[in-house]
Amino acid sequence: MLESASMMTVNADDLTGLLVEWGQGNKAALDRLTPLVYDEIRRIAHRYVQREREGQTLQTTALVNEAYLRLAGSGDIAWQNRAHFYAVTAQVMRRILIDHARRRQYVKHGGETQRVAFEVAISEVGLMSQPRAAELLALDEALDELARLDPRKSQVVELRYFGGLSLEETAKVLEVSLMTVRRDWRAAKAWLYKAVKSER
Amino acid sequence: MTPEQWQKVEAVLQEAIDCPPQDRASFLEAACAGDRELLDEATSLVNAYNEAGDFIEQPAISQDAHLLVGSDFADKLGHEIGPYTIVKRLGGGGMGEVYLAQDARLDRLVALKILPAYFASDDARLRRFQREAKAVSALNHPNILTIHEVGEAAGIRYIATEFIDGATIRQLLAKQALSLDEILDTAEQICSALVAAHVAGIVHRDIKPENIMRRADGLVKILDFGIAKLLEPEAPDYQDEAQPGHGTHTEAGLLLGTIGYMSPEQARGLPVDERTDIWSLGVVVYEMLAHRLPFTGATRMDTIVAILQRDPAPLSEVAGDQYNVSALLEQTISRCLRKEMTDRLGSANELLGELKRVREQLNNRTNLTRPAVKLRRQEADPSSKSAAHSLPRKYSWPLLALVLVLVAATAGSILYRRSETAGPANPALSVRPTTAISNKLYSEMNEAEQLDFIDQQEQRISMMMGDRPVKLNTEAVRVIKSYVDQFAARDRLSADLGSERIDKVYARARPYVPLIARSFAARKVPIIIGIYLPVIESAYRNCYENTIGARGLFQFMPQTADRYGVARQDMCDVEKMTPAAAHYMADSMAELGEDSQSMTLVLLSYNRGAESVRNNLRQLRDAENYERNFWTLFAHRDELDDAFRNEGAHYVPGFFAAAIIGENPQNFGLPLPPLSKLAE
Repeated sequence: MLESASMMTVNADDLTGLLVEWGQGNKAALDRLTPLVYDEIRRIAHRYVQREREGQTLQTTALVNEAYLRLAGSGDIAWQNRAHFYAVTAQVMRRILIDHARRRQYVKHGGETQRVAFEVAISEVGLMSQPRAAELLALDEALDELARLDPRKSQVVELRYFGGLSLEETAKVLEVSLMTVRRDWRAAKAWLYKAVKSER
Repeated sequence: MTPEQWQKVEAVLQEAIDCPPQDRASFLEAACAGDRELLDEATSLVNAYNEAGDFIEQPAISQDAHLLVGSDFADKLGHEIGPYTIVKRLGGGGMGEVYLAQDARLDRLVALKILPAYFASDDARLRRFQREAKAVSALNHPNILTIHEVGEAAGIRYIATEFIDGATIRQLLAKQALSLDEILDTAEQICSALVAAHVAGIVHRDIKPENIMRRADGLVKILDFGIAKLLEPEAPDYQDEAQPGHGTHTEAGLLLGTIGYMSPEQARGLPVDERTDIWSLGVVVYEMLAHRLPFTGATRMDTIVAILQRDPAPLSEVAGDQYNVSALLEQTISRCLRKEMTDRLGSANELLGELKRVREQLNNRTNLTRPAVKLRRQEADPSSKSAAHSLPRKYSWPLLALVLVLVAATAGSILYRRSETAGPANPALSVRPTTAISNKLYSEMNEAEQLDFIDQQEQRISMMMGDRPVKLNTEAVRVIKSYVDQFAARDRLSADLGSERIDKVYARARPYVPLIARSFAARKVPIIIGIYLPVIESAYRNCYENTIGARGLFQFMPQTADRYGVARQDMCDVEKMTPAAAHYMADSMAELGEDSQSMTLVLLSYNRGAESVRNNLRQLRDAENYERNFWTLFAHRDELDDAFRNEGAHYVPGFFAAAIIGENPQNFGLPLPPLSKLAE
């Protein structure tokens, strides 16, 4: 009955505390933040889809911001914490999508006939497409590799692509100049594009 | 590549990008002088930069938002049910969720319909359905969806059918209008399926746009043959003069969905035959042409009145401008929609013949303009004289009202009706007089008595919650009964789910009643809602791990558990979690809503948060019969979001079952006072 129950309410202190902990490198804090953020991301996605249907475009950042305010309440919240929150959101988003892509690939395994049948089914019903899943998995792998070579660039991509932040916001979160983010972004984009393309 | 090598490559890459495009090649040659590897790497990256275009420029969510919306699908994806692996959720409704699944044995895709839990306990009904499913499948008709299997695995009942890669007529209607040719073609294919089924003695009973699919290549399939019958109420335990008691009515099933396609005989609870399908197909064709239903009303009751009494607006007046509705077509549909079965087109075969004539005429008639537009219905169809003045019109209002009351009372044709005795609830006064039944042990009552008992108690509990008493239909009472039965049979259940006896569950809940009562009362929350929480919660003592990896009996957030004094490793300990859950509930409910009705909503959706409650309320306000109580939510669950539908729909009967047992322990052999007494 309530097996999927997840009591999501959290107060501002909890959230701030967890964000601070995570910012200080406590990995366990991320595990505790994830479910909170996951729920918010789904809400965001819901509204995204809805507005899209109504022909409106929606800034992801605006929604993430709102999610943060909802989770944290309207209390006085240090920018630093908000920055951490963006980072968490981006990470969780990445996790969720990669998880989807993995399942999609898992489902794919089987004979060629089956694969073709799935393609048909999927184009009709809107499951993550197989090429999209493959692209995301390749991107994920490439991002991990990039993190090894150049952690900040990988973070820039995570914040922008998965977290929906603008260049300016990314700069603020990472506490670097806008110029640096711009250069990071273009180099990372080239590097990732090459890596993902060679995967195919 | 090492980080150091990357630094070098990046430096060259950045500078190259800063060069004007035509100078990049020469820059790279110069910058990498002699270092072949560096040159290759940098060149390929510059090329990648040039080609990358929009790559990762749009946030992922803009592309994948839709994937994150349906949680249910994510939860079930990859799960195995018998030989099937779930691939994707296709849809859902009153008759259960439908998934796209892979059949491992035959390497094929199937549509897997998971039947609602309340069918699981009814073997006889399922066997009957199985027989009918086999009979329909045996027809092997191209326009009837093939049923592969009706099966069960791990307690889940399912129906596996062929998977059709197409859209339902409902979806097609929403997207764009079908051409007249496509409409006629669709109608003919449905008709040809009905001919075959009717010859075999099988009536569909629930022809509607949701049950008809059309593939891109034009092939039409009727879905859910026999399922309407599966949803029928059992033959009533009582006899009533207005009800022949043939057990052939499908009201409950139809009423869970839409009533707009229901035939007059269905609406009146009379036996149906193949002419019911003719009616419904007439409604569908009418709707395809007019984009509106022939019989509608502001409420379900008004719709029933329209079905029984009103003539539809002439098709030639309401059909879309693009359709050349001939007199013959109009007449054909009008002959499907005769109130009296005997006035209606008598067989699908006859209808098929008429539709073919319409099509021939259409093909021959290329340069005629719309001759039928101004024709009134009776002029267009001289033979309809008797039909237009058929039975319902002869009814005087009082008689009609009587019919309607009988419909309501006997066939369950309205989902519930409100008692006239509104006003502040006084349980002591408003509880029905104790009958002999109430003194009997539940296990010693016969089925009719059990249903009556549940009916009475449900009304009493609704009143205690501050709602006006809700009179539920038979189907609803049966659903609650199946939950009560599950509770009552706990000691006989397998060890993996709720193997504890009900007295243990009750006993565990008991100490928390005063605690809950105090915290709820202090916040002006109806106590009765809170009291049964520990019953419900502690009945499910499995330790669950949800999709996001949180482990615990109540799926508390670890920090929430911390706040209520439960350590992380104790999150599966029911003794520790029950009081924590009660406190948590009282606290969070105090933050949300003010009146008792809001409270019931909060309870239903407490695991989704306040936002979900508000959204669902908003959605519900658009629905008919807007009443903020459990059963409205249950009845309108199709209009609510997935999470709410899946969780709320089970919580409703579960809550009543827990409350009925908690309030009547003596009927379940528990020598204890009612839980609400403990709260005083």
